[in-house]
Amino acid sequence: MATVIPIDEYITDEWYPGFKPAFDHAPFVVEPFRTFSKEDEQRFWFLDFHWPRGLTPMGLIWNEDGYSWGTQLAAETLPLPPGRGITQRIAGTHTYASPIDMTSEFEIGERAARMGEALPGFLANFDTIWASRRAEVERWWQHFRGLDTDALDLRGLSQMLKEARAFHKRAFEIHFEIMYPLLVNYLGFYGACAEMGLDPGQIGKFLQGNDTKIMETDRELWKLTTAARHAGLEPTFAATEPERLAATLDAAGGSSGAWMTKFRDFLQVYGYRTEGSCDVALPSWIEDPTPALGTIKTFLQKGDDHDFDKAREHLLVERDEAIDAARSRLTKEEREVFDAGVASVQAANFTWWQDDHNYYIDLRVSLPLRWASLAIADRVGANRPDDTLFLFWPELTAVADGEKSYDDLRGVVEDRRQYFDHWHERRPSMPKVLGTVPEAVTDPILIEIFGLNHHFLSAIEALGSGTEVKTLSGIAASKGVARGIARVLNDADELHRIAPGEILVCESTSPNWTPAFAKIAGCVCDGGGSLSHAAIVGREYGVPTVTAVGLATVVIKDGDEVEVDGTNGTVTVFRAADIRAAE
Amino acid sequence: MTDLILWMDQTAAGSATEAAGAKMGRLAELASIGVEVPRSFAVTVEAFRHQCAQTGLLERADELCSPQALDGADDAVVAEASAAARAAFVGTPVAEEIRAAVAEAYEELCDRCLDINVPVAVRSSATGEDSSSASFAGAFDTYLGMSGPDRVVDAVRRCWASLFTTRAVAYRARRGISHRDMPMAVGVVELVHARASGVAFSVHPVSGKADRVVIESSWGWGEAVVQGLVTPDHIEVGKSDGRILQHVVNSKDVVSAFDYAVGAVTEMPTPERLRRRASLDDEQIGRIVEAVREIEDHYGHPVDVEWVVSGHRRPGESVSIVQTRPVTVAATAGPAAKPGWDPLAFAAKYAFGGKG
Repeated sequence: MATVIPIDEYITDEWYPGFKPAFDHAPFVVEPFRTFSKEDEQRFWFLDFHWPRGLTPMGLIWNEDGYSWGTQLAAETLPLPPGRGITQRIAGTHTYASPIDMTSEFEIGERAARMGEALPGFLANFDTIWASRRAEVERWWQHFRGLDTDALDLRGLSQMLKEARAFHKRAFEIHFEIMYPLLVNYLGFYGACAEMGLDPGQIGKFLQGNDTKIMETDRELWKLTTAARHAGLEPTFAATEPERLAATLDAAGGSSGAWMTKFRDFLQVYGYRTEGSCDVALPSWIEDPTPALGTIKTFLQKGDDHDFDKAREHLLVERDEAIDAARSRLTKEEREVFDAGVASVQAANFTWWQDDHNYYIDLRVSLPLRWASLAIADRVGANRPDDTLFLFWPELTAVADGEKSYDDLRGVVEDRRQYFDHWHERRPSMPKVLGTVPEAVTDPILIEIFGLNHHFLSAIEALGSGTEVKTLSGIAASKGVARGIARVLNDADELHRIAPGEILVCESTSPNWTPAFAKIAGCVCDGGGSLSHAAIVGREYGVPTVTAVGLATVVIKDGDEVEVDGTNGTVTVFRAADIRAAE
Repeated sequence: MTDLILWMDQTAAGSATEAAGAKMGRLAELASIGVEVPRSFAVTVEAFRHQCAQTGLLERADELCSPQALDGADDAVVAEASAAARAAFVGTPVAEEIRAAVAEAYEELCDRCLDINVPVAVRSSATGEDSSSASFAGAFDTYLGMSGPDRVVDAVRRCWASLFTTRAVAYRARRGISHRDMPMAVGVVELVHARASGVAFSVHPVSGKADRVVIESSWGWGEAVVQGLVTPDHIEVGKSDGRILQHVVNSKDVVSAFDYAVGAVTEMPTPERLRRRASLDDEQIGRIVEAVREIEDHYGHPVDVEWVVSGHRRPGESVSIVQTRPVTVAATAGPAAKPGWDPLAFAAKYAFGGKG
């Protein structure tokens, strides 16, 4: 009997106040997103970890351009044999995603044949293809950087808004056009390694050590940290909350002011990124430098300087050692498979691309949309600078085109803000999954990025049958064993709650969680495969990490003592909370 | 009466199986292709028939154990019939001409081994179509470390009797096979003084990968390994280049060793100092792999072998092969459907949750 998590609570036509989605209000390829209906209970839905606060109406554009357009177009074009991409349902402001399965065996066969024609060429030309797409993204980007939103009138902003949307949509065509075949090849290699008896925990190492744009940013942040220390700013950083650092440092003048000049130069190069993925509601570091300054504050607390060159050299040595160790256990015939496989996954390197594309796409793709929306809010005299983010695309374009007066929407924006807050509060109590739990999920992105592998699915089954879960298992993502107090966090906002030596427990991490890895002893994630952000950063920082645990944030309570075994992929929960209650 | 005894180095491989049973027949075949096997002779099928004809034992067995007699019988009835048939064979003296022939051949074996009362393994070697199948593996008796003509003759008699072990009787009854279709030959084989022994497979026994030789090895004789009483050392070697891929040394807590007080090979605790020591060195591993490859090439299908490294063996000398069988595991072509790195094949297999 399959486990079914009822969806009744979320079946409703009701949505953000004052908006009824029309069938054609958003682009899609196979299946549009909508609210839940009863028949959705037959399918498997997974709470998307990317937006723990929920999405504003403009933020929901990601669901349209990313899932309904990007994943579905890429899955249909490559094509993926057993799946047609990802669709989603909205529960309030939160997204549940689901694979669109291909059920016809004949069509799966046809699609496999087509993929067979496409994949080798893609892999062989990956460098050229990604370079060309990156250049395209850069052209769009330079175009938007060249626009001065202060100087544009409403008509000009309307034009910019539509271009920004076109860029957004195009960026996710590229994103998934690249991601699916890279992942397909990587997962094939991963399976081949497991088949040859190699330790899956070592496979990530074969791909490590290549420089990415994100690592470049981290390096610059460390340089600024060293400069801050030399400028004697350590006491200021230690005494000031991240939110007030910019103002405090500016006001202090002298060496502090000089350092801020350096910092602003850094922002001009590396600051066009958001603190989190693909959400128009998130400001860039330019707009709000708190995350960058907070990171420098953490780095200063850590004390010693991080030697990036040495660390990278170490990663490369470790990579070569891992490859040699793996080869030594293989027969001559297997080594031929392994050598060609490693060459293939290194040339079309998913791990590296995962980081690199975040810089070019995920962390900045929503900024032009945000700039245009905020400028429109300014021109139409909205109450708050970001009020326009609470308009749906058809509404905002109508306002920008002068077809609709903003005054007609002013009231509804206030209602929608309340709606957003209401659902933000509900998030921690929302089920991680809904509907019918399958034996296996076939979409490579859901398997690897969301960690919907058999560990995850069996954890859900166990909870569904009322079994007491004490030892959790997942993917051994970063080796080593650590024991400490669990901090169960819902959002990167709460990272300040973590003390050095504690265990981070969360749904998943993204680049803005990275600084925490300098101080935590271990990391446990509900989702994520061996190449998820937490896995990669865990290995780089030497933090034992287990991913794809499934229900870690449900089973583990804040304050529990847990042991993370990143070598074997297990997490043992010592019910400290219960023991305290018993006393 | 020379046809009561057959020397394994003096017989054509084909005719050996008919006269000496499957197990001894394969040993003769190995000897014929130059594989190092222990010196041995067989007490032939003819000897078994002669014993039965002299004593009426077959008729007695017909009454007790024919498929007709046991058709639809429950386990207790089968066990009782088997015990009665065994008792009849064990309790009937060996015909004098057979006793004399075995004793004489044993003296000859001692002579060839330059030893007096040389210890031998006395092994059942049944004939008939099904006797070499997995269903009969271990169904018949083997006596290790017998020495002196009287004990050897006695062991031969007990091997004949083991044609009627409960397992063998029950299996034949189920399949409608008569014991008359599988007369029992018995091998008398020089007991190589085993420093280490074990089994080796020309394909991986679990995965079926044909690109490697897998060796399991422990101290002393191979009984403890074959019976699964000990966790042996595990070694994997690349078949085409002989490179050692894995050498896992386990704690070998039990050893089959020669107990001189009892005059037989028995199981005992392994001396502490030997438990965690590797039971094979690289040179010995190399020679085992060589023998396994040679045997597989000869038969043209995957094999397992039981091997022994003699305590008297010097580096460079061959290891002894005491047994070989076809491997039942299905061999795979290699890690992928096509040899080499085939991203599409691997993607289909692994990129879509096993549903590609």
